[in-house]
Amino acid sequence: MKLASRLALAAAVALAACNLALAQTSPATPPPSKKTVICLLPKKKGLPYFTTCAKGAEEAARELGNVELIYDGPTDGSPEKAASMVDRWTLRGVDVIAVSPNDPQVLGQAMKKAREKGIHVITWDADAAPEAREFMVNQATAKDIGYALVDAMAKDIGGEQPEGEVAIITATLTAANQNEWMRFMNERLAKYPKLSLVATKPSNEDQRLAFQIAQDLMKAHPRLKGIFGISSVAFPGAAEAVKQAGKSGSVLVTGLATPNDMKSYVHDGTVKSVVLWNTIDLGYLTVQTGAALASGKLKPGQTTLDAGRLGTKQIEKDQVLLGDILVFTKDNIDKFDF
Amino acid sequence: MTGRDRAARVHFGVLAGLALILFGFAAWLEPSFIAPATQRDLSLHAFELALLALPMTCIIVSGGIDLSVGSICALAAVVMGLLHEAGAPIWAACIAAIGAGAVTGALNGAFIAALRVHPLIVTLATMAAFRGLAEGLSRARPISGFPPEFTRLGEGYSLGLPIPILALAIISLAAGLALSRTSWGCWMYAIGSNERGARYAGLPVDRIKIALYACSGTAAALAGIVFAARRNTAKADIGSGLELEVITAVVLGGTSIFGGRGSIAGTLLGVLIIHETRELVSWHWHHDELILLVTGTILVASVLLNNLASRRAD
Repeated sequence: MKLASRLALAAAVALAACNLALAQTSPATPPPSKKTVICLLPKKKGLPYFTTCAKGAEEAARELGNVELIYDGPTDGSPEKAASMVDRWTLRGVDVIAVSPNDPQVLGQAMKKAREKGIHVITWDADAAPEAREFMVNQATAKDIGYALVDAMAKDIGGEQPEGEVAIITATLTAANQNEWMRFMNERLAKYPKLSLVATKPSNEDQRLAFQIAQDLMKAHPRLKGIFGISSVAFPGAAEAVKQAGKSGSVLVTGLATPNDMKSYVHDGTVKSVVLWNTIDLGYLTVQTGAALASGKLKPGQTTLDAGRLGTKQIEKDQVLLGDILVFTKDNIDKFDF
Repeated sequence: MTGRDRAARVHFGVLAGLALILFGFAAWLEPSFIAPATQRDLSLHAFELALLALPMTCIIVSGGIDLSVGSICALAAVVMGLLHEAGAPIWAACIAAIGAGAVTGALNGAFIAALRVHPLIVTLATMAAFRGLAEGLSRARPISGFPPEFTRLGEGYSLGLPIPILALAIISLAAGLALSRTSWGCWMYAIGSNERGARYAGLPVDRIKIALYACSGTAAALAGIVFAARRNTAKADIGSGLELEVITAVVLGGTSIFGGRGSIAGTLLGVLIIHETRELVSWHWHHDELILLVTGTILVASVLLNNLASRRAD
């Protein structure tokens, strides 16, 4: 008992000492710096995709000079923890919060509260409800992605007028992103009259199912020249099926996935092109957008943004567009690590 | 004063000292973090943890454990959301969800009492089953669009404090009194120390167990509803992993994992230390990956300090 009270006394003394130290230093602490504080929240901290985004964000913060970048997110991808982080940043009174929401609903509420406090809130990589943020930094429009996929296939098949049967393996039949991309893929296919789309199959975000479907497609359409795998799961699944069937090079696979997932297929010739965006630039543009909003350079209704080394970027309504689709081939894929 | 009493007081003193040092350190490091307005708003993040730690303390004191609380949170929130979506008045949906929590909790208790299976195994099974049920019912999609009078429950203020925290204060007081001042509370310690003895003494052991797990389920349902109100979303993955955080706080608070010893006041101190550590680490260092490390270190430090202090006290 005596010891307990002694401990409590010691703690009280420690607290008093801390407070004293605080009282002494607080008049001397410099006035709050004029740096713009930008918080960047990924869906999940630690994923190579987001780590490369953060690299670009740091680069932009360094270039701008007057920006303090905070990069943090849940290591387990929990939306509850992500929302708590937004709460804390709101209480801290930071200038800009940029969110890649892993759950637009859960985070939306926290983002709205941040906006009510006068903090600039933007989304990047993935979007939330329009009223929860001012701008979205969008890596690519559906049109860009759809067109880039078809152009990559046409180039891979080769020739003045690429010809042959092609098929699409999508995520699910109700996936909004993929359906939007396919709409533009169909539009672009009109440019290549000798490419005929013979099938569109869902893989339900299951890599093994995508593998089976690719096998079935090759059996059902012996003259198949190309397969689009338009999700990060469908693409490697389809590539593996073509590789195991020994048809590397005669049936070409292209689609959307991170370079690390596809490197081995690119080097063995199953895949010639991997379509994605530059994640470093995505992080860079997000910080540029945040800084421009905070300084008042970017206002609603604007149609362009001066984004440092990326030059002038287009803004469509409330979407800041990164715009450049990146096509990874065996010549450049080893330069990217995500 | 018995030796056991003294050990509990030493532990409480160690924890209180830790908490004071933590606050002192925070005040020195981040004055804005310690500001009352900040602390008041951040306290909302501790609500679910604190609320669930209260019945968990009673359960562990009586020699049991409940791993299914996180899943019941999700199940209750989903039940509430689906009923509201189907057109039921929001408060009726809440009452039904709390009822669902009480029933699922009582089910845990009934299995444990009737089958004499260890609570760890029963609640490990229901942890998976209730989560699965929540996912199945909601088809794993988020349910949203609750009315403002409901979301106020999760983020509104009354008497200058967040409404959930006011409720928590009242419930904590009730739980503290129940465990330390009522005969039922006394029986929980008796069951935890020696269950067979308690049975021979004619205590209603099975009834107490069922009531305890029903309380735990009810609290979990309330936590799920408040979470849904705060984030305006009910979905099947809320509260995942919460059960381990709750057990950590209870054990840090001096409750013996083998039963027979523990207090609500200790648990609240444990919750406070974990909550403040978590918030401060994220506030100052912005490294989510640090939080687990620091919480683990504090747990180990408290055990070491406690051993040292009780040895010197003897």
